[in-house]
Amino acid sequence: MKYNYKDIIMWIITHLILLINITIVFIPILWMVSASFTPGDTLTGVPLFPNPRLWSLENYKYLFEYKGTTDQIVSDYVQVFGNTLYIAILNTILVVVLSSLVGFAFSRYKFRGRKGILLTLMGLQMFPTFMAMIALFMMFRQLGLINNSTALTFVYVAGAIPYNTFIVRGFMRNIPKSLDEAAAIDGASNLQIMTKIIIPLAVPIMGFIAVNAFMAPWMDYILPSVIMPQNPTLAVWLFRFMNPTASTYKPLKFMAGAIVIAVPIMIVQMYMQKYVVYGLTAGADKG
Amino acid sequence: MFKRIGSKFKSLYKDIKKHPKAFRIALRSFFVMGWGQFKNKQKYKALPLLILFFVIIIVEIGTSTYWFAPGELFGEYPVQAGEKLYFFRDYGGFFTAGIWGMFTLGRLILGDTYRGESIKIFDKVITWKSADNSIVLLGEGVLALLLFTVIVVIWILQIRDAYKEAKKIEETGIVETWDQFKKRIFDEFFAYIIVIPAAIVILFLTLVPFLYSFLIAFTNYTSKISIGGELIKWVGFKNFGTYLFRGEWLEFFGRVVGWTVIYALMASITVYFVGFFQAMVVESKYIKHKKVWRVLMILPWAIPALISLMVFRNVFSENGGLANELLINLNILEQAKSFLAAIGLMGQTHDGVILWYSDPLNGPLAKAIIILVNLWLGSPYFMLLIVGILGTIPASLYEAADIDGASSLQKFRFITFPWVVRATIPVIITTFTFNFNNFGAIYFLTAGGPGYPIDKVPETMRITGSTPGQSDILISWIYKIAFANDPERYNLASVYSIIIFVFIGLFTIYNLSRVRSFWED
Repeated sequence: MKYNYKDIIMWIITHLILLINITIVFIPILWMVSASFTPGDTLTGVPLFPNPRLWSLENYKYLFEYKGTTDQIVSDYVQVFGNTLYIAILNTILVVVLSSLVGFAFSRYKFRGRKGILLTLMGLQMFPTFMAMIALFMMFRQLGLINNSTALTFVYVAGAIPYNTFIVRGFMRNIPKSLDEAAAIDGASNLQIMTKIIIPLAVPIMGFIAVNAFMAPWMDYILPSVIMPQNPTLAVWLFRFMNPTASTYKPLKFMAGAIVIAVPIMIVQMYMQKYVVYGLTAGADKG
Repeated sequence: MFKRIGSKFKSLYKDIKKHPKAFRIALRSFFVMGWGQFKNKQKYKALPLLILFFVIIIVEIGTSTYWFAPGELFGEYPVQAGEKLYFFRDYGGFFTAGIWGMFTLGRLILGDTYRGESIKIFDKVITWKSADNSIVLLGEGVLALLLFTVIVVIWILQIRDAYKEAKKIEETGIVETWDQFKKRIFDEFFAYIIVIPAAIVILFLTLVPFLYSFLIAFTNYTSKISIGGELIKWVGFKNFGTYLFRGEWLEFFGRVVGWTVIYALMASITVYFVGFFQAMVVESKYIKHKKVWRVLMILPWAIPALISLMVFRNVFSENGGLANELLINLNILEQAKSFLAAIGLMGQTHDGVILWYSDPLNGPLAKAIIILVNLWLGSPYFMLLIVGILGTIPASLYEAADIDGASSLQKFRFITFPWVVRATIPVIITTFTFNFNNFGAIYFLTAGGPGYPIDKVPETMRITGSTPGQSDILISWIYKIAFANDPERYNLASVYSIIIFVFIGLFTIYNLSRVRSFWED
């Protein structure tokens, strides 16, 4: 193949752009990694260029060894992690089941009040969620549900249904109706059409919402900080290290804790990236 | 409108005249839920309705203290002369007391004398001697009202059902059996059935809190109100008048809204075009191993935003943050400062390191950082999206363009660009609305800082401690008003929330109204 002058210039320019891009991407990430391995409690000790010879595992050890009270079996971090994992799993199951059902109803049936419900769902999303927190806090206190992980999960579920309904509905609309009709002619009930035909075809979009639902609780801060003060989720727990005015200010421990949680999330996200484009284009209408 | 309702009533009246027996059956359902269905020989309907009916009554009676009323009112604790009796407050059950509480928000507080007794904070035995807690009353009221509405709807539906079924039986003599009914319900009402679980969750955990918060905008509720010692009152639209439309508050509100809109626009546009650019570069024919490059570039997207934001807060920290350390080590701190000052981002007169988000004179700098960090976080997502869309452009379009002798710039201008933009318009709109309420991008990065110079802040705002920072957007300001400052002005926060709600709501409805396919099945 013959390269001409213009191609060589373009080759250099495009690669240069990518290299600059990647440098910008990696500088803060490397600094974060380097900070997590730096002993001590202040940022001033973090070397500008990572130097693995000076690294220590002090911050990581802290995560897996520090226990707030003596009767704990596992460290605070592991306990908080487990709690958040429970919320994430329950959230995933409930969100996937409920929003698939609602999405199916809205994509397949014409019923009275349909437009009204759709508009209400849209509208409810517009209201700042943490305003609802005052009310949730009051309600949960009355019912003794403060610090209850399951109750928190249901709040997440309620919040996630509207958006996911639109996503699922958008996807299921593109599944031809002729499939339903053919099945109905063969005597399939509504339930059978849903479980045997539409749901199996909608697995990709359900994968997408499942991943989103699983990810959400790990990094939600505001809601658990208010209604789970004694039973923190991971984001709340980590943020305590980040508040410069608090006595718990330990930015380097934060970096270590953040890496431990960010790495698995990153791996899942990377693996799921094909669904992202999928989910977006399915939810968005060509209109 | 009225004419239509009038004619409906007229035809209903005529219909009733024709079927007096059906009317009598419907009347039974009017008084006792399920009684009409029982008369229609549809026990499978009558039974659950009857159970529901009795459950409602048991809940109301069981949560009440009606049976103490006669003895106390005419014996031990009679109403004093000139005193008003709050019957439902004293004896009502879940529904009646709830609705009473919602309308009044309580009447009696600690130290009041009522029926010859003095009101305490809490009396376990004679509950009406406890002081009213307005905020709990409001919550219970919302819940009671909502459940009451649901019951009324069921009640109306079952009256209608009793009437229609009776008419049908009268005309045809056929009573629908359980099996037929089951099949019909599963065919015709399947959509409702599968929506019910989600509807219940949303009703209690979204709608109730929403109504509650919405109503708080019309009260004088702040954390200064000591529960039991004071009552919260309905104040109508007063909050809107005192805060929203009063000169100095309006001015600050305008500033915050202005920055919110600029931020939302800038944040959405920059990530979109940079993401587009990245996609074009990485997909260009000069790049080999596209997949490897892409994986490296989308890292910021894969890292949870909350973590990235907090790391960036550290990067721009004045105590050993990466940004300042880099500038010092490269020996260009002073040059960087004069550069930032020259382009108008920095006004800091302070020596030493750059105070990225804590010097009141550095407001524009904090805003620029927010947008740049948002770009770091957000552009990979759009790169990913646009790479995906580039793959959907039919190759035949480019082939045709090649035959016509189009240059690569022309191909981009007339094929790629319009195609991608058209496919991504809905995503751009959602991104805008998302950024409009992107609390985290502000709160975790700059926490709204820097503050305004103290002499620029109106007196009333300083006293209430509700001053926004220079980089606060509306939502993060609301958070400060409601939770972070003393006194927590829940009512004011709620007023501003309603404004966001209306603004974003109108924006979305306007956009949706243009997307025809949204409304089609």
